[in-house]
Amino acid sequence: MSHVLLLAKEEWRFWLRSNLALSAAILFLVLLVTTAILTTVRIAEERHAREHHQEKAESTFLAQPDRHPHRMVHYGHYVFRTPSPLAAFDPGLDSVTGQSMFLEGHQQNSATFAVSGASADLGEFAWLTPAVVYQLFAPLLIILLGHGAVVRERESSTLATMLAQGISGVTVLYGKALALFAAILLMLVPLLVSGGAAVGRGETVLAAILMVAVYFLYLSIWGLLALFLSVLSARRATALATLTALWLALTLLLPSLAVSNAARFLPIAGQIETGLVMLSDLRKLGDGHNVNDPAFDRLRRDLLKQYGVETVEELPVNLRGVVAEYSESRLTDKLNEYADRRMAMEQKQAALLARHGWLSPLLATADASRAIAATDLNNHQRFLKEAEALRFDFVQGLNRLHASKLAYIDDIKRSSDQQAEKRTRVSGENWKLLKDFRFKPDDVGTRAGNAWPSVLALLVWFAVLSIASVRAAGRIRL
Amino acid sequence: MLSNRLRLQAEELRVIRGGKEVLKGITFAVAIGEVYGLLGGNGAGKSTTLLTFLGFLDLAGGNARVNDALVSEDVVAARRSIAYLPESASLYEHLNARENLRYFLGLAGSAGDDESMEAALDRVALPAEARDRRLADYSKGMRQKVAIALAILRNTDTLLLDEPTSGLDPTAIDEFHDLVRTLADDGKTVLMVTHDVYGACQVADRIGLLRDGRLVGEFSAPAGGRIDTEAVHRAFSSREAV
Repeated sequence: MSHVLLLAKEEWRFWLRSNLALSAAILFLVLLVTTAILTTVRIAEERHAREHHQEKAESTFLAQPDRHPHRMVHYGHYVFRTPSPLAAFDPGLDSVTGQSMFLEGHQQNSATFAVSGASADLGEFAWLTPAVVYQLFAPLLIILLGHGAVVRERESSTLATMLAQGISGVTVLYGKALALFAAILLMLVPLLVSGGAAVGRGETVLAAILMVAVYFLYLSIWGLLALFLSVLSARRATALATLTALWLALTLLLPSLAVSNAARFLPIAGQIETGLVMLSDLRKLGDGHNVNDPAFDRLRRDLLKQYGVETVEELPVNLRGVVAEYSESRLTDKLNEYADRRMAMEQKQAALLARHGWLSPLLATADASRAIAATDLNNHQRFLKEAEALRFDFVQGLNRLHASKLAYIDDIKRSSDQQAEKRTRVSGENWKLLKDFRFKPDDVGTRAGNAWPSVLALLVWFAVLSIASVRAAGRIRL
Repeated sequence: MLSNRLRLQAEELRVIRGGKEVLKGITFAVAIGEVYGLLGGNGAGKSTTLLTFLGFLDLAGGNARVNDALVSEDVVAARRSIAYLPESASLYEHLNARENLRYFLGLAGSAGDDESMEAALDRVALPAEARDRRLADYSKGMRQKVAIALAILRNTDTLLLDEPTSGLDPTAIDEFHDLVRTLADDGKTVLMVTHDVYGACQVADRIGLLRDGRLVGEFSAPAGGRIDTEAVHRAFSSREAV
């Protein structure tokens, strides 16, 4: 062990006396800290803005005056998805999925961007988050530090001097690995700080630890790759060129290929294309605003029979409200059918993308990171489902008010009779049927479960490279 | 007085490097307290022979033994009992002399104290003012002196020296030869590779002449005397086996 420590300390002394390694480390640190500050500030502002908008939307809805319940159905309501505490480190899909939604009767709107400046104000650089810096740029620093660890000694013949002192190639590898892993731990300090800050904002300690562990595993894989090639290469330039090519392939080419594969093999129909088909399906369900639509003939007959009356005017409930409730229910079932189909395809695409993590550690890490930060597809889809549940709940609540509180006769006369119109207004107190909406990220157990397949891929990468490196070092040659 | 006990043994050593047979079955042995010089021109296989005793090369045939044990069976043990001085002193340029000694001695498991380090550096006549400068600023000869000091400080029973006087000035060469003799008199075994016929004859008890991967002749010093330089020189220059 003392030899391993000695070798590691010497490697560190070499780095500290090497201008290139020091400059690169400082550059990386500046990039990381700058990105961390910018992203943290941006996410904190978005979080604050969305919480504020959510409260404002709710109070505005509740403050609406007495009016016809169906006007409130169309008045609608906004919901906002507040970013999870770890989104300051990895905003994940948040920047592309949208985090607010307008809820109204008869339709499911898409999520849009909550704050106009949320993405636009940072322009094209919004993609540069701390997670991306770790995923894309940290491996470059590791390559710079690690590629020469053994081959440098071989080129300068100090490897012979070292081995001639009676240490094995494996001991040399362990020493260099210890030095590199210590450097990796140091590189993770900004992530530790970010994780600590997230805990301060309500994140669980376990989630923060898991995030650090995933990135330690990822960067260690790059460390092992650098060491493995350093042990095998005869020339430093060869090791550096090979590692650079691998970096390009594993962090840029393969992820692009994976996205392209997911889109090619599991295509999702575009919104306009789906919208046209859906519209045709929805038309078959009838117009909920028109009680005379043939689609509701059976409902009318059943109601008359149920209450034992001859005309709709004699019904103890407002047929318009009943039709609206019935129509909304059928329409929502159909809309949910389309939404579920789309979500299932999105899940399949995401799973295919994650499976590419067996080929590219970056993809596995990005997938696990998003899952742990609760900024992944699962959380986005749950937001959509919870928003939809809220929409359906308050729209049907208003429809039931319509059916139970308003007389049918007043309802049909309200556009021509001012008194009837007044009688069709219900008290604003009724708007309290709107439930509070506060989106909560998945619990840490669920997030860990979502991240597990990708973490497993990273563990396999780590194990295979460890074994390969030790075997290569065991047969080390001058 | 040479002991009969053998410390280094090469038995029909064959080594192939880059598809070429570099050693073609050489056999020799070096006894305790003996200085053995391996002479030969460029590419004769001298340095390769040294590397086989350190287990750095795969053998295509034959055996290399250190203290009767096969090197291939416990390469680390073989290396621990040998101090190796490579042809060009391969030490760290970003460290100074003391830091180099401390580091490599640490790897060898022998923590050299400051006093013995200074004594070894004195013994190789490395100027005191140079000892805190990084090796990047050293001349070839100064680096060689640090490497020799390391070999001395290792205090092993066996020394493998690859062109040890390369880069040294004439005075330093003479001092180095005296040092080698003193070490041998103390019971150390020295296997020295060189193409310096005169230097080898000055210091060696026996000389083996290598040519094209084969040991083509051996010369021994008479009791109390030195090996005949002229005879070795003639054999070295000739194309015939001795």
